[in-house]
Amino acid sequence: MKFRPIIQFLSLAAFLFLLTSAVYTGVDLVAPDLYLRMDPILVLGSALSGRVFLFTFIPALIVILLTILFGRIFCGYICPMGITIDCSDRILNLKKKKGKGRDNLYRLKYFILLFITGAGAFGVSAVFFAAPLSLITRFYALLIYPILSLLSQMGLSLIQPIAAHFNMYGIMYAEISPPRYTTLFFVLLFFVGIFAAGRINSRFWCRYLCPSGAILALFSRLSLVKRAVSDNCTKCGKCVRSCPMGAIEKESPGNTSFKECIGCLTCRDVCPENAVSFRVHSQKRKDVPDFIPERRTLLYSGLTGAVFASVNLSGLYSLYGKPGVGHVSPKGLVRPPGSRPEDDFLALCVRCGECMASCPNNALQPIWFEAGVEGLFSPSLVPKRGACSQDCNNCGTVCPTGAIRPLEIADRRWAKTGTARVMRERCLAWEHQKRCMVCDEVCPYSAIKFRDEPGNPVPVPEVMEDRCSGCGFCEHHCPVQNQSAIFVTPMGALRLNEGSFMEQGKSQGLNISLAHKGKKEQPGGTGYPYESSQDAGGAPGFDEGGSSGSGSEAPGFESGSPGNDTGSTGFDEGDEGIAPGFTE
Amino acid sequence: MSVDFKRMNRIIDDNFSRRKFLKFQMKGLLFLAAGSSGIFLPRKGIAEPIPDIAVVKGGAAKATRAAVELLGGMKNFVKKGSKVLIKPNMSFPNPPPMATTTNPDVVRELALMCNEAGASSILIVDYPLFDSDTCLKRSGILDTCDKLENTKVIGASNDRFYKETEFSGAKKMSRNGVFQEALKVDTLIAVPVAKSHTATGVSLAMKGMMGLVWDRAGMHSKELSSSIVDMCTVLKADLTVIDGTRVLSTNGPRGPGKVLKEDTIIASKDMVSADAFAVSRFKWYGKKYRPAQVQYIREAHERGLGRMDVGNLSVKEIQI
Repeated sequence: MKFRPIIQFLSLAAFLFLLTSAVYTGVDLVAPDLYLRMDPILVLGSALSGRVFLFTFIPALIVILLTILFGRIFCGYICPMGITIDCSDRILNLKKKKGKGRDNLYRLKYFILLFITGAGAFGVSAVFFAAPLSLITRFYALLIYPILSLLSQMGLSLIQPIAAHFNMYGIMYAEISPPRYTTLFFVLLFFVGIFAAGRINSRFWCRYLCPSGAILALFSRLSLVKRAVSDNCTKCGKCVRSCPMGAIEKESPGNTSFKECIGCLTCRDVCPENAVSFRVHSQKRKDVPDFIPERRTLLYSGLTGAVFASVNLSGLYSLYGKPGVGHVSPKGLVRPPGSRPEDDFLALCVRCGECMASCPNNALQPIWFEAGVEGLFSPSLVPKRGACSQDCNNCGTVCPTGAIRPLEIADRRWAKTGTARVMRERCLAWEHQKRCMVCDEVCPYSAIKFRDEPGNPVPVPEVMEDRCSGCGFCEHHCPVQNQSAIFVTPMGALRLNEGSFMEQGKSQGLNISLAHKGKKEQPGGTGYPYESSQDAGGAPGFDEGGSSGSGSEAPGFESGSPGNDTGSTGFDEGDEGIAPGFTE
Repeated sequence: MSVDFKRMNRIIDDNFSRRKFLKFQMKGLLFLAAGSSGIFLPRKGIAEPIPDIAVVKGGAAKATRAAVELLGGMKNFVKKGSKVLIKPNMSFPNPPPMATTTNPDVVRELALMCNEAGASSILIVDYPLFDSDTCLKRSGILDTCDKLENTKVIGASNDRFYKETEFSGAKKMSRNGVFQEALKVDTLIAVPVAKSHTATGVSLAMKGMMGLVWDRAGMHSKELSSSIVDMCTVLKADLTVIDGTRVLSTNGPRGPGKVLKEDTIIASKDMVSADAFAVSRFKWYGKKYRPAQVQYIREAHERGLGRMDVGNLSVKEIQI
């Protein structure tokens, strides 16, 4: 009875369940980011570059502890990346073509580990290039999930006529909105590469490249439970050939590289002599293949990381030092609500894509090089695709490293992501003099004010910055295509490492609330979203009632509208003067 | 151009004939009722005509029922086996007291009446501006109505449900995606909440039909009021019931704004008349307005879609 595939299946299922729970509900019942927080390099690298240690990082320490006890069972049984690669290996490796020893390659993962550490020492995160859980989360969340939902939507469309014929409303009106993401082709190519490498050697990634594997390898050397081979061994070499990690010495199968062994028990199961067991023993093998690189090489790779970091910090968008004059921020880059200050944000963000997958409006997108190499794949709010919902804090809840802080909903609304701006020359009201107030209609914070503009027959929108939370509903719904006439800029975004956004916002004079109503309470006349400067302001949207020009009446009807020469636009000059609540 | 005029005339003719036909039918029914039973004669005499506009003040559900009864009862609109589409406003993630969405009790009563009249299926549909699930839930309509017999509440935010449709005789919007079932059903019932609207003055039955249309952004860039009339040439409600139980008098359509407690239901076969009456009935931003001051109502009237001259129409108002 092979229990390993069962455990692996359960582990992958649990991982996907957590991911799904992040996608569909952002539930607090379970920790959707638990697997990410078990990833040693993800946690240690982030702690190093972000200079923080969070209690949420503890799962990775538990994994290391388990490794000291039982070896690299995380790699063998739990890691979704390893499981996925096992699956692809099984599919692609039909010929059972086993590579010969490529012992030098084993060292690569230590270089990568040291590279990340070196960059981390300089405060630059390189975790996302190679942290297995970050990569595999991106794979499932940003590639598999959108494709599956697209296919299901297509399926629904296909069976629509059948469902309609039988009046199956449940199916007819089932709704799936497939998310869309940038950088998909990169994720695809990257994983095609990783899977294809399985043709060279099984678990190519885990053997040679995985920095988390490297960390665990350092600890599994000390593990209590180890592979042991009894004297029954006939050196048939079956175990050598079947070991997915190449951890058994060819000439003497009794020797195991405990660093590479993931405790998968394959060797025990294939041994015809039942000579292999895994148990606690203090047996030390002298001739164990040891793939730890020389110290000097390690030092060099650490230095490479440091050089990488220095280059980053010398780039135009460098976050080194205090932001101020001369500091260039990437154009139009709006971060999710509750993001830490940019330098800490980037140091902590592991680009796992969990925030993007969990965003109910598909508003968060990975970026390319807009913010330099160090900003690669970090999340950006793209309101034209989806706006930031005022009732949601999914991105903060699922973020494994707290780069986006988890916030109470009330506080989250104050986590201003930026400020909307009207681009007058594109605006239907400002430029085309058409009655449009969609931005006001959809603004959850009543931050749009409409006022009369001399020479313009229709009221025009303006943003009240102190009320604007930067959610982007205005930009999302703006009827102007391509580039909305109102859009969110990062201006005024609140980025805090600690403390309450609400307090900070209030102390900056912000006035963000879902309950804003009218200016009736404010005689000054700045409170109510519609403001008339005319002496006799009418309710917005009403006009004089009929124009003589187009006054042709429908046949047979008697018009109740008096002919009026002043045209059909402009506001009612009503007999009773100003509408209550309106000022001069 | 000439073709367009012909089309328009055809639409107008259709209106008249349908309208006359319905009236004729109703009279016939009344006579039948009178002839077949001498006991159940209506007290006020059988000859009392069906009003153009019925107004009832009272509790939401009862007033809704009474208003439809004044128009001859739901059987006048829904035949046995009819497919019905009810179009409330469920567009905003706000609770009912904010008066940005239709009172669930009003919608429920309509669905019940449709069932009593023998409807084979009832769809309650809107295309919410915000997240469908949230809007449907918070409006209270999902919980109140989805469990009713033959009834399904839908937040139609998927393009799959919409069919590209031509609006013949259009002035601004010649085509758009229209919620497919709306084109197929036997009876289309508009049940909007009465509210103010910054761009169009008011949002009532006609404006509410935008909840059955896919590309609403395009309507704004083309010219909102005319596009609404264009749309209503196709999406013309057979029965309009305006929920004036509470009226969002200011800061519509999203609110929060001043909510007037009016306890009023306005019903009509003519969606333009119903809208027009609602405009003149309630105060908007504290003032009274004439229906003609709302561009799309005026234009609908001028284009023969319905009548806004409520002064010339028969209005029957009761209090219960």
